[in-house]
Amino acid sequence: MLRFVRFKSHAVSCSEFQLKCGVEIHTQLNTNAKLFSLSSNNSFNSKPNKFISYFDIALPGTQPILNNEALLYALKLSKALNSSVNLNSSFDRKHYFYGDQPLGYQITQHFQPIAKGGYLKIFPRDGVKDELTVEIEQLQIEQDTGKSVYFEEEISSSGTSTKGSLTLSKIDLNRANLPLIEMVTKPNFTDANQVKIFIKKFQNLVRYLNICTGDLETGAMRIDVNVSVNGNSRVELKNLSTTSSVINAIKFEYKRQVQLIKDNKESEIVQETRGWDGKRTNSLRNKETSLDYKYFPDPELPKIHLDSKIMDQLSIGILPDEMLTKLINRPYQLSLKDATILTNDLSLLDYYLKLFELSINSPNNQNTKLPGNFVIHELLGNFAKLNLKFDSNLISVSKLNELLELINTNKITQSSAKLLLQHLFNNQDDINKNLFELVEEFDLIKQDDNNNQNNSKEIETICEEIISQNPKTVKNLNSKPNGLKFLIGQAMRLTQGKINALDFENQFKKLLNL
Amino acid sequence: MSTSATTSKTARLLEKITSAQAKYNIFTSIRKTDQLRDVGTTTAAIKDNICTIEEPTTSASGILKNYISPFEATVVTKMKQFGTTIVGKTNLDEFGMGSANTNSIFGTTYNPLFPNEKRIPGGSSGGSAAAVAAGVVDYAIGTDTGGSVRVPGAFCGVYGLKPSYGRISRWGVLAYAQSLDTVGVLAKDLDLLEKVYYKLDGYDIKDPTSLSPEYRKQITKLQETHKDKENLRIGIPEEFILDLLSDKVKSGLIQSLIKLLEAGHEIVPISIPNIRYAIYVYFTIASSEASSNLARYDGIRYGVRSSEDINNYAKTRTEGFGKIVQDRLILGNYNLSSDSFEKNFLKAIQVRNELRVQFNKVFKFPNVFNSSREVGDIDFILSPTTTSTAPLAEDFENQTIPEGYAMDILAAPASLAGLPALSVPWYVDDDIPIGLQIVSQYGNDAQLFTAARLLRSLNI
Repeated sequence: MLRFVRFKSHAVSCSEFQLKCGVEIHTQLNTNAKLFSLSSNNSFNSKPNKFISYFDIALPGTQPILNNEALLYALKLSKALNSSVNLNSSFDRKHYFYGDQPLGYQITQHFQPIAKGGYLKIFPRDGVKDELTVEIEQLQIEQDTGKSVYFEEEISSSGTSTKGSLTLSKIDLNRANLPLIEMVTKPNFTDANQVKIFIKKFQNLVRYLNICTGDLETGAMRIDVNVSVNGNSRVELKNLSTTSSVINAIKFEYKRQVQLIKDNKESEIVQETRGWDGKRTNSLRNKETSLDYKYFPDPELPKIHLDSKIMDQLSIGILPDEMLTKLINRPYQLSLKDATILTNDLSLLDYYLKLFELSINSPNNQNTKLPGNFVIHELLGNFAKLNLKFDSNLISVSKLNELLELINTNKITQSSAKLLLQHLFNNQDDINKNLFELVEEFDLIKQDDNNNQNNSKEIETICEEIISQNPKTVKNLNSKPNGLKFLIGQAMRLTQGKINALDFENQFKKLLNL
Repeated sequence: MSTSATTSKTARLLEKITSAQAKYNIFTSIRKTDQLRDVGTTTAAIKDNICTIEEPTTSASGILKNYISPFEATVVTKMKQFGTTIVGKTNLDEFGMGSANTNSIFGTTYNPLFPNEKRIPGGSSGGSAAAVAAGVVDYAIGTDTGGSVRVPGAFCGVYGLKPSYGRISRWGVLAYAQSLDTVGVLAKDLDLLEKVYYKLDGYDIKDPTSLSPEYRKQITKLQETHKDKENLRIGIPEEFILDLLSDKVKSGLIQSLIKLLEAGHEIVPISIPNIRYAIYVYFTIASSEASSNLARYDGIRYGVRSSEDINNYAKTRTEGFGKIVQDRLILGNYNLSSDSFEKNFLKAIQVRNELRVQFNKVFKFPNVFNSSREVGDIDFILSPTTTSTAPLAEDFENQTIPEGYAMDILAAPASLAGLPALSVPWYVDDDIPIGLQIVSQYGNDAQLFTAARLLRSLNI
């Protein structure tokens, strides 16, 4: 029986209930101005209705003027996704009434979107089992809507005793007319993890392009998902505000549909839009109650005519996959793990690259791995210990480079440098002090081991002392050779890492005839 | 000028305006004495669908009856800059939808050409045409989407200019159907009309449909190389010779053609087949665009809101819009609905594009937007502006809806093709002129004025 199941699961990939999933991502562009007006793009956490122009609130007699910056950002994303750009795209109107939709329609690209096709690949190193090419359906530029904030108001009518509450909405139009790019993928995903990895990778991509913060929490990026099982009707999932809600909603919807199939209720799986309330998906509207958006070409916005050479001339800089390859090769030679950490965090990456640059250009540079080790393990480690997020300003790149210089010029050992860094984190007032003064203050100067008689004498004394204090370890050295490391560790601790471990090792071997 | 002289000039102007208003119901707002203290050499009125900051901009709609714009239209700023004194805002058909000026929350405007009868002034810029005809202003600004300046111009016996699409800025002009909307000018004096047109004509960065400086340059260059010859070839499209034409209009047209022939010009029968469909195409496109443009009037951010609307806007729109606007919004929504989009809206767009091509084949002057630059040998097109002179208000009210739509039948083709057109008064046998419509190639607005001067010189 087991064998049979295994055989079968191979034949149909993983299960007899095949999930097919596509995503629709709205990326809010961080341009200076809005999509069709000059009001500034500053919607998050601002005073409501502070950043609005006459056009944004659809005053009579106003007209849209396309912000070319948004167009440029859309072209950058198209290039990064290998999409083919439409040299004659245009804007259309999508009609629906809503309190936070001032025009009564959204200006979008329905008939001639800015780009079609393209792909983004996700690899095992990104966290998926097998490489997956996620195909892009199309990219379209469109306006964001305002925001509705709902609140309850108590009502009481005088004269009678009837009381109740009324749900009202307040409208903030700071977000209205901000530029968005809607990207739709083909239903290439077969499990929720792939979607998660894709979202992460796409977030990182837009951050590299510097066209969006990529944050889901602020609403700068919004994700809808469509789910179908075994080729049944497609269900669209909305109101997914975090990556985990995306994943949980997919998993829930998958299970719901699988159960319906198992119960022979496949007919109950209908084409519809469902919302996610944090626990389950609920039907919002189906085909019968869906809106007719009455799309038609905007009669006053000119077509976007692009020069056929524009995509060749457009430079988008280095992208995450390329960056990862760069970091694991010369001169950086980072491990895949470290390179991945850096690639996924632009500010950390920037910090590292600056430090590497300073360090490699130093005449004293001895070790190209030192910057990576210190940034990823020591610096990040200290931030983690204090439960802080990485902040490139706390220990400046030049400060950390000073520390590496002390190692490279043999002034202090790596262990001392690590201790010193930890000291700076714990005593942030000392950050602005001269590093070398601190080294002297804490007596961390590396002892010159070769020409200093006193020093070798001291080493001998220390080693003898440790041998006498640890007779058991010494006695068992033949059967437990790791004991030597323990002894060296004791010596290092006593001298606070000022002396090289190798000197102690040699001395111990000499004293113990090893 | 002394203070007392200024005061008396203002007083005389206000007196004229007030008595014309009492008789013809021309204005939606009249400026006050202190706003008219420095009356310049030229006075004008502005159609109430164009934004000003001094008074409400209502578009003659209940939904905007309390709306005051925080900014003014580019045309208004320009008028002030060249010294025009604006006396007030004029009545219109609600949102420009109508050709009689009977469809307004301010009531019907009457035609000053007939002081003893209740005749319509034409629409939708009826108030503007009436203000000029009544002699209370030197010129008036209107808007023309499918004949809204030319039809009232013809009915009120004044010049009515619809420039090429995109020549005069639409910033601050309430949209009815943007692919057709133009700002136009009405005046009794042809020279003043021309002067005002050249002051208002110009690129505006705020209007995405404004004719670009590059195309303007190209047109100017073309105009330098296309000087009119002594004897002109004047095209008469057979599609404009309708059974609908009244006897007076027919005889006026024939009279003008004879005079032109006598003056040594050629009259050339031509055919522009899609003119036949223009009125259907016009109402399909205009209603579709209007249904979209008027979607913003929900009473939430500005304008009038129904007391019954708390979380909705349906009641606001039912109470705020008049019957004709509601009919056109329903028609437009129907045309754009997914069931009829292709067979109605897209079909109309296709017929409109063919119409443009057909016009291009007729004119000697090339269309800058036509890359093939295919041309014909006609200098300008001549037709009546309207099928009759101004009807009585009660006769108009008794018309069927399609009969009402037919008012724009001769004016809509130029609107669909974006062409410049000018309605010129032509006196037949009494002091009530008919309107003759001159149509030129796109961008060649200048020719309208020379052709109008020619007609004026022959109408003696």
